Amino acid sequence: MNSRDGAPLGQGIARVGLILSLLFGLIAVGAGYWQVVRASELTRAPDNPLVIAAARDVVRGKILDRTGATLATNRKDANGEPYRVYTDRSLAPLIGYASPVYGTAGLERAYNAQLSGQGSPNSLDDLLSKLAPGAAQGDDLTLSLSLKLQEAAVKALGSDRGAVVMLDPRTGRVLAMASTPTFNANAIANPVTAVAAFNRTAAAAGQPFLDRATMGEYVPGSVFKIVTSVAALGSGAISASTTYPQQPAAEQTGLLISGFRVHDAHHDFTGSLALDYDQAIEVSCNIYFALTGLRTGGAALSDWAGRLGFGAPIPFDLPTAVSQVTNGGGSFGGGFKDDVELANAAYGQAETLVTPLQMALVAATVANNGVLMRPELVTSIGGPNGNQSIGPQALRTVMSSGVASTIGDAMGLAVESPWGRIFTTGAAVAGIPTAGKTGTAQLGGSAEPNSWFIGYAPANNPQVAIAVVVEQGGHGSARAAPIAGSLMTLWLKTLNP
Amino acid sequence: MDPYVVAIWIVRIAFLGGLYLFMFAVARLLLRDLRVATRDPGMALARLVVVGSDVSEPPRGTVFGLDAVATIGRDVNNSIVIEDDFASTEHAVLTFRGRAWYVEDLASTNGTFVNGQRVEGLSAVAYGDELQVGRVRFRFERARR
Amino acid sequence: MTARVGARPPRAVPRLQPRLRRRETGLLVLVGLIVVLGSVSLGVTKRQLAGQSLTWLPADGGQLAIYLGALLVAHLALVLAGRRSDQVLLPTIGLLGGISLLLMERLPQSLVTQSRAGRSFGRASIQLGWLLLAIGVIAITAIGVRSDAWLRRYKYTWAAAGIVLLLLTFLFGNETNGALLTITVGPFSGQPTELIKVVLVIFLAGYLSDFRPLLVSASMRLGPLRLPPVPYLLPMLAMWAMALGIVVIQRDLGAALLFFAVFLALVYIATNRASYVVLGLLLFVLGSVIAYQLFGTVRDRVDIWFNPFVDASGKGYQVVQSLYAFGRGGIIGTGLGAGLPLVAGRLPIPAIHTDFPFAALGEELGLIGVVAILGLYLVLIERGLRVAASAADDFRALLAAGLTLVVGVQAFIIAAGNLKLIPLTGVTLPFISYGGSSLLANGVVVGLLLALSDQGVEPPPPPRPKRGRRPAFLGGTPHGAR
Repeated sequence: MNSRDGAPLGQGIARVGLILSLLFGLIAVGAGYWQVVRASELTRAPDNPLVIAAARDVVRGKILDRTGATLATNRKDANGEPYRVYTDRSLAPLIGYASPVYGTAGLERAYNAQLSGQGSPNSLDDLLSKLAPGAAQGDDLTLSLSLKLQEAAVKALGSDRGAVVMLDPRTGRVLAMASTPTFNANAIANPVTAVAAFNRTAAAAGQPFLDRATMGEYVPGSVFKIVTSVAALGSGAISASTTYPQQPAAEQTGLLISGFRVHDAHHDFTGSLALDYDQAIEVSCNIYFALTGLRTGGAALSDWAGRLGFGAPIPFDLPTAVSQVTNGGGSFGGGFKDDVELANAAYGQAETLVTPLQMALVAATVANNGVLMRPELVTSIGGPNGNQSIGPQALRTVMSSGVASTIGDAMGLAVESPWGRIFTTGAAVAGIPTAGKTGTAQLGGSAEPNSWFIGYAPANNPQVAIAVVVEQGGHGSARAAPIAGSLMTLWLKTLNP
Repeated sequence: MDPYVVAIWIVRIAFLGGLYLFMFAVARLLLRDLRVATRDPGMALARLVVVGSDVSEPPRGTVFGLDAVATIGRDVNNSIVIEDDFASTEHAVLTFRGRAWYVEDLASTNGTFVNGQRVEGLSAVAYGDELQVGRVRFRFERARR
Repeated sequence: MTARVGARPPRAVPRLQPRLRRRETGLLVLVGLIVVLGSVSLGVTKRQLAGQSLTWLPADGGQLAIYLGALLVAHLALVLAGRRSDQVLLPTIGLLGGISLLLMERLPQSLVTQSRAGRSFGRASIQLGWLLLAIGVIAITAIGVRSDAWLRRYKYTWAAAGIVLLLLTFLFGNETNGALLTITVGPFSGQPTELIKVVLVIFLAGYLSDFRPLLVSASMRLGPLRLPPVPYLLPMLAMWAMALGIVVIQRDLGAALLFFAVFLALVYIATNRASYVVLGLLLFVLGSVIAYQLFGTVRDRVDIWFNPFVDASGKGYQVVQSLYAFGRGGIIGTGLGAGLPLVAGRLPIPAIHTDFPFAALGEELGLIGVVAILGLYLVLIERGLRVAASAADDFRALLAAGLTLVVGVQAFIIAAGNLKLIPLTGVTLPFISYGGSSLLANGVVVGLLLALSDQGVEPPPPPRPKRGRRPAFLGGTPHGAR
C-alpha cells in the first residue's frame, strides 16, 4: 500500500524514533546529574528557598570589627522574626547582605553556615535537625577590619568607582577593603523593602553588588612593573645595576619591537642617561621594563607572577577573581603570543588583568621580605561553644629578602626622591618613610586611564600595605597616590599609632 | 518514628510504583505487538484443534498450525488433509486478511459449517469458533506464542 | 488515492458495531487507581502540613471523580464507535492529565483565578475544565475524523491559515516574558502557536507526500552534499525563514525550535537522505548565530544557559531555582505537596505552572518520578510512530509522524530547558502544563493520531471466486469441485 514510488517510510521513522528516545535518555541523565550528583550541593546553596526558609528563624551571629565595633546585628520585625541590620554602607559590597527574600551575598554568604549556627553542614538532615525551633543562635564573626579606616577609604574614593585594599603585610590581615559605589544593604535585608531595594540596586549604574576589591579585574599599568621586577631580579635576569645602552636613544622615537613602538614620557627629565633599575622605577621607564621583560622571558614572568598569586583564585575568606599576566594559549613562552605582547605586559598593558587584592598582596610581599601571607578577614569565630581564632598563615616565600629589599628601596625612591616626587605626588606619609609605585592604565580610545597606586609604610618597618585603583581617575599620581597617602597617614598616625 | 509519617511515605512510594506498573503494563502490550509485527514468517498465525473426529485421520486432539492461506480437503496437496469421504478434494480455504480470518467454502458437496451454520461462500471466523468439515470438528484458536 | 477509511464498508460487517477495547479498559482502571493514590498522598500531606487531623481521603475527590468520569465516557464513546484504533494512547494521556490535575491542586489556588457568574474558580478547577474539553476533543476527533481527504486536499489552505494566525499574533499579540504569545478576543485568550503547530504538520505532510519523488530523485552536487535542484530547496528555505521570523517577530524561541526540528525530521522521514538534515543543521547554526548577534532576548537566554549561577538572583533566577527544585527532589522526591518551599509567602518559581511543571514534578516525585514521566512521553512517541509506520500511505504516515513529533519534541524542549541541557524557552509541557490552548491543541493531535491508528473496518473480503473454481489467489487451477 505504500506510495507509487520510493521505499517505505519505515526506516526513517524508526531512526527518528531512536534519536528521540536517545534525547529523552539524555534528559534522564541530566535529571540524574542534578538530582543525585549535585543534589546536596544545590540543596545547601544559601539562596535555596529551603535554606532561606530554614534560616528565617535563626538569629544570625553578629559581625564585629577589630575594635569590637558592631558591623552587622539583628532586629525583630512586627511578627518577631529577626532581620539583619548593618552599621555602615561602606561595608556593603564586602559584607553583602542576608535577606529573607534573596538569600545571602558577600561575607554573609561565605560564612552563612557559621553565622546561622550550623557549623559545617554535612547533610541536609543535619542542617534541618539543627534548625529545630528554639535552638537557633549563630556564631559571631570578628574581622581584622577597621570600621573607621573603611569609612575613610570609601569617603576618599568619593563619587568615583574604584577600590582600596589595605592589609598588614606581616600577617596578611585586611585592615580595609573598600569598593565603590556601595549600596544600602539594610533595605535589602529588611523584609518590607527587600524587593524594591534589590531591584533598584541591581539596575543601578556602576554595579554596586560587585565587590571590586576581590572581583574587579583591571589593567594594572605601571604598578605591574613591581611584578616584572620580582621575576627579573628573582630569576637573576637583571641586577640593580643593569642598564640598557639602547634605551636613551629609544626614548626619542620609541623602542621598536617587531614593528610595535614602546613609548615613554620621561625623557625631558632623564635626557641621554642610561637608567639603572632604581632610576627606571623612579621615573617609571616603560622601555627599561619592556627590555627587562624580553630579557626575563615569558615563561619566567608567568612563573614568578604565579608565585605571587596570579593564575589561580587567591585563598581568602571571599571568592576572588583570577588575576592574569596573559590570556594564555600563546606559543611564545609562558602563554604569551609574541614578543610584542610580552614587552607590553612587562609594563602592565597587553592582556594583563589584576584584582586590587592581588596588587595589595604584591606590595605586601615586597614589604614582608618576600614572604606572601594568606590574606585574611575573619580573625575569630565566637559562639556559645567558645571562640575559635584564626592565626596568620604564610603561603610561600616568593623571593629572597635581598631581592625584596632591592625592590623596596627602589619603591622608596619612587615616592621620596626628587624624580620620584614628580611622578608620585602625595603618596608620602609625612615624617614616615614610604615606598610605592603609581600606575596609569591606558584603556584605549579617549577614556581617561585608570589611576593606580600600590605601596607600603613605614618603608623600614612595614605595618601597612595598600593598593588603590580609581576607575578613569587619570594619572596614578592624580587620584590614587594621594588617597593612599592620606589613608596610610590616618592608619599609622591616628588609628594605630 | 511517627507511624503516620511512615504511612504517608508508603502511599507516596505506592504512587510512584503505580506509575511504573502502568509503564510495565504498556511495555508488555508493546512487546506483544512488536512480536506480532516481527513474527518469524514460518510461525503459525492461528491453530485448528481437532475436537471431534469420526475418522482415522486426523484423530481427536491433533493441532494444525495455520499460515495466511490454509486449504482443507481430501487431496494430499491440501494444508490439512482429511481422510473422510464426506469431505471434498478441495473442500474449504482459511485465509488471513488484514487482521481477520475468513473461511471460504470451495463449493463442497457437504458444506462447511461455522458454529453449526453452513457457510455460504465466505464467512468471517473468530477465535473460539467451531468449524466442521465432513465428520471432523475443529476449534479455531489463537496461535500460541 | 482514496482513503481507505472513506471507502464504502463491506456489507459483511455492520458499520457501528461496538467493539470491546479490553486493553484500554484495563489500562484506564490502572490509571484511575494511580491517580486516586496520588490524590490520597497529596491530601494527607496537605493536611499534615496544615496541622489538621490525618484522614486517608483524596485531596479533592469531586474533581477527581469528574476527571475519571470523563475518561470513562471517552472510553465508552470509543467502544460504541467500534473503530479499531490504538488502545494505549488514551490511558497514557489520561495519566499525564491526572498528574497535571494533581500538580495544579497542589499549587496555591489563589495564583490563577477567574470569576464567572458569581463563582470564582481556582487554578485546579480551570485546568480541570480544560482537561475535560481536551478529552472531549480527543474523543470527537478520534471518532469523527473518518476521511483524511479534507486534510490532504486543502494543504495550502492550511498553510495560509497558519500564516494568518502568525500575523494575527504579531499584530494583536500581548507580550509575555518578552515574547508575543497570546491573543485576546473578548473574554478568551489563547496562544495561536499551539494551533499553528498542528496546521503546519498537516501542510507539511501533504506537501512532502506530494513532492516526495522529486525530493528523492533529482540531485545536484554541492561539495560533499547531494541536494535536489534549487526549486525543491525553496520550501526548506521558506521554513527556515518562517522559524527565524517567529524568533524575530514573536521572540518565541521555543516555537521556532519546535517547528524547525519537526520540519527537518519530516523531511528526513520523507526522503531518507541525511544531506537535508546536514543542510538544515547548517541553516540552524547560521540562524542561531544571526539571532544571537541581533537580539538581546536570544543573547540573554544563551548566556543564562551557559552559566545561570553568575546572576542567580537576576536573569538566571528561574533556571537556578529550577535546578534547586530538582536538587531538593533527589531520588525519591519529597512527595506530592511536600516540596516547593515558599519564599516570603510566594512560590520560588513564578512561572512554575506553565514553564516549570517538570521542575515541580522533579522535586515532588524525584528522579524516579521524572524517569516515569519521560517514559510516558516515550510511550506516546512509540505509539504515534507505530501508527506512522503502519499507515496505509505516505500522507497518513507523514501526518502521524509529524503529529507525534510535535508533542515529543515539545516535551523534550521544555524538559531539557528546565534541566539546563539546552537554553530555556517558553513552551508548555504537553498535557501537564497549565493552559487551555496547549491542552486543546494537543487534544487535537492525539485525536488525529487515534483516528489515523484505526485499522479500518474489517478488511475487505478476498475476491469472490466463481462457483466451482479455486480462488484466483491460489493460482486458479481449473480443477473441478465435487
